[in-house]
Amino acid sequence: MQIISITKNQACIRLPPNPRLFVDDNTEEFCASVLYSLADSASGLAVLAEARDSSPIATLDLRVDYFQPAKGDRALLAVATCPKLTEEVAFIHCDIFHEGCHELLATANATFMRNTLGGRILANERA
Amino acid sequence: MCTTGNSKHQAAGAANSPDECLAWQGLLERIPYARHLGLQAQTDNGGVLIHLPYREALIGNFKLPALHGGVLAALIELTARTAAQRRDKDHRCPRILDSHINYLRSAAILPTFASAEIIRQGRRTSLVEVMCWQDNRAAPIASGRVQLLLPAVVATNTEAQEQ
Repeated sequence: MQIISITKNQACIRLPPNPRLFVDDNTEEFCASVLYSLADSASGLAVLAEARDSSPIATLDLRVDYFQPAKGDRALLAVATCPKLTEEVAFIHCDIFHEGCHELLATANATFMRNTLGGRILANERA
Repeated sequence: MCTTGNSKHQAAGAANSPDECLAWQGLLERIPYARHLGLQAQTDNGGVLIHLPYREALIGNFKLPALHGGVLAALIELTARTAAQRRDKDHRCPRILDSHINYLRSAAILPTFASAEIIRQGRRTSLVEVMCWQDNRAAPIASGRVQLLLPAVVATNTEAQEQ
């Protein structure tokens, strides 16, 4: 995955085609779960973009609607925006397209918990 | 071990666990992304579950460290897909319509397991709930609800005549 751009409250990342990420040996089509991963990564980056810090975050939930199959011969682009950020929670919307095409392949909505500096991180840092 | 004799007495659709497990594994092996993740079917108390072995490449957060959320999503979606495909009498290959995953605990760098429960399987759609856990089944790390679409069945001659 490559970061294409990070602006005020938006992050865009790109994933080039790779046969290891396909859904079937006989079809050149990305596995849906790959789009899910891409949405998760772009969404997390959008939280950090809007928050302008790098304190740890955690995905609470993420829902993806798959509109149409993602062809395996073209790169994927995920554009995630953060419409609302509070002290504790960030809400994210993410759209996935083929590079150079405006037709939506999938759309995602996510909620992230902010500042998840939990016991395990603190314990690791002390160690 | 289940023998052929035993399986005769079982209800239709409830094939014996080792055979069913092999069938799940066969379906997983046809998915390049499932092979990439190393997903394995295992028998589980009369049913089948899917095991995601741990490897460093699956880490999403090196600070914790924790597995990437997208990897858990893949485990959940592919478990749902395989369960729905096995439940369908024609074993049609479903397409995922949507999935909604809740992350309940951070995923430690351990082997992860997923089991599916089919909420409803119809002629055209299937709704599957998947639970994911690591060392303690009573403390799930993620749960997911996946809606799948089964491809249209080609009408048989009799059905076509009736229409």
